[in-house]
Amino acid sequence: MTVNLKRTSRAGSDAEPISRRKLLGWITGVGLVGSAGLSAISNFVFIKPRATYGAPQRFSIGKPDGFPPGTRVTLENRRICVIREGDRLAAVSTTCTHLGCIVGLSDTGFACPCHGSRFDTDGKVTGGPAPRALPWYKLSLAPNGELEVDKDTEVQPGVYLSL
Amino acid sequence: MSQAANPKPSLLASLMAFPATIWDSIFRNPVPSNDLERSATTFTNFFLHIHPVKVHKNTLRPGYTLGLGLISMFLFTILVVTGILLMFYYVPSTSQAYDRMLDLRGTVAFGTILRNMHRWSAHLMVAAVFMHLCRVFLTGSYKKPREFNWVVGVVLFLLTLLMSFTGYLLPWDQLAFWAITVGTAIAGYAPVIGKDIQFLLMGGSTVGQEALLRFYVLHVAVLPAVLILAIAIHFWRIRKDGGLSRPADADPTPTMDLVTITEGPKVRMDDKKTYGVQGLVRGPLTKVNNIPDNTVFSWPNLFLSELFVFVMTLSVILVLSLLFNAPLEEPVNVMHPPNPAKAPWYFLGLQEMVSYSAFWGGIGVPGVYVVLLILTPYLDRSPKGVGKWFSRDRLLANTIFITFVVANIIFVIIGTYFRGPNWAFVSPW
Repeated sequence: MTVNLKRTSRAGSDAEPISRRKLLGWITGVGLVGSAGLSAISNFVFIKPRATYGAPQRFSIGKPDGFPPGTRVTLENRRICVIREGDRLAAVSTTCTHLGCIVGLSDTGFACPCHGSRFDTDGKVTGGPAPRALPWYKLSLAPNGELEVDKDTEVQPGVYLSL
Repeated sequence: MSQAANPKPSLLASLMAFPATIWDSIFRNPVPSNDLERSATTFTNFFLHIHPVKVHKNTLRPGYTLGLGLISMFLFTILVVTGILLMFYYVPSTSQAYDRMLDLRGTVAFGTILRNMHRWSAHLMVAAVFMHLCRVFLTGSYKKPREFNWVVGVVLFLLTLLMSFTGYLLPWDQLAFWAITVGTAIAGYAPVIGKDIQFLLMGGSTVGQEALLRFYVLHVAVLPAVLILAIAIHFWRIRKDGGLSRPADADPTPTMDLVTITEGPKVRMDDKKTYGVQGLVRGPLTKVNNIPDNTVFSWPNLFLSELFVFVMTLSVILVLSLLFNAPLEEPVNVMHPPNPAKAPWYFLGLQEMVSYSAFWGGIGVPGVYVVLLILTPYLDRSPKGVGKWFSRDRLLANTIFITFVVANIIFVIIGTYFRGPNWAFVSPW
């Protein structure tokens, strides 16, 4: 199967009638290349999982009493930091916005061990390569009196849950 | 029948001749004792016929090639053998992988040394392939007609890095987990398709069981298959492109009866060239008697050199593996990155660049490097300076190349020795 693109296009511009052999050649070529392309794409569709098994994005972190005023505590398995100032509560992500390492608490806020990003106590970038501030997640009080974090919903930094 | 004329050999004689019969059926040539047999052995042996029957003396100069391509090939061979053996005990499961590493160290016979050999060969292969790339550049060997084989070589270098990157996750220790978390996050910064690539690599939104299985499949099946195919093309092209590069004056010009072809058999369409009369048969390279012959028979010259390089490579790996154990960090703790979390040395230049900007350090600058490397033979088209180290004709190209190499080595050194906890500058002294 060889299709000479140059010659075919010239033939087209000269309004030369396309021979049956050439037409069949084109149809075969397009068919073969097209099927190869579709097969390649379906391979990628196959290896792209439809269902993933991850940690739940909405979860309870217990009653507010567990976080006395002045608390800054990281819930490591949830990858969040719970902050309580007086009667106001917030949940800040501890996943570095740079390349996904877990930031640790530092004197001035948060620090990333992987590439040296620095964040202040509100999660704003104060140094290093991080492109964005640490996101704040929606925190709400469930009817049973427990705090619920929704990692699918980000809120503006500085938006606290008031008790 | 003719048997009636010949006396039938005794049973004992037949039995005595049996091993020789078997041997002769496998090896159709005797151990060479003259040039004809030397040619025939190289030509008819499956494992040798990848070589030319005769090879240019320049190819055998250790100071020219430094044997780096061969060393890379032999390291890859060691990696395939040790890798297949390790597969007998490895399970790509987050709950078992790390225990299997401990088993290799503790209970499996030769487990420690096999793992050491695999790890140190991988490190040395990255170094050898890179130095081979440097050798080819600094001797101008990528020039016409070897442009495409240079491109294949660059692809082989990238595949080597990918092999090492995917193998890095398999022990499922702290280093592995965080290096791959960072590595896949870098892929996420690629424009347009970055997030999709990241998701396909990890098989989920975080590095976990799916990612481990995917990296395993890439490491033991997909990438080796592509790598072996690319190696085959690379070797085949060496022969088809006229053997290893050498200076233009290494091939003497014919001095006997010369004819200028203006018409006649279409051996070559270039009518300005002059050919020796006998050269008409097979092109201008056919040797005629009064031209000094700068080639030697591959048997034994080339084969002994290759054997020597192989034995040296294997010895170095064995000594390293007996002296130093491959590192194994703590088991994965998805909550605590080690501080500092460092990639293997050959990725530390990248990590250092990434610590300034994820996109430019991880995608932009490396992408430009790769494009420049691939385009090198198509940008630098001057035919001068081929086959000599640091040729004066190539002062500019070599200077630019060495500058890039040195800059990246400096990044690697900074990342290795000058970065401490939280990636802050520390003094190694």
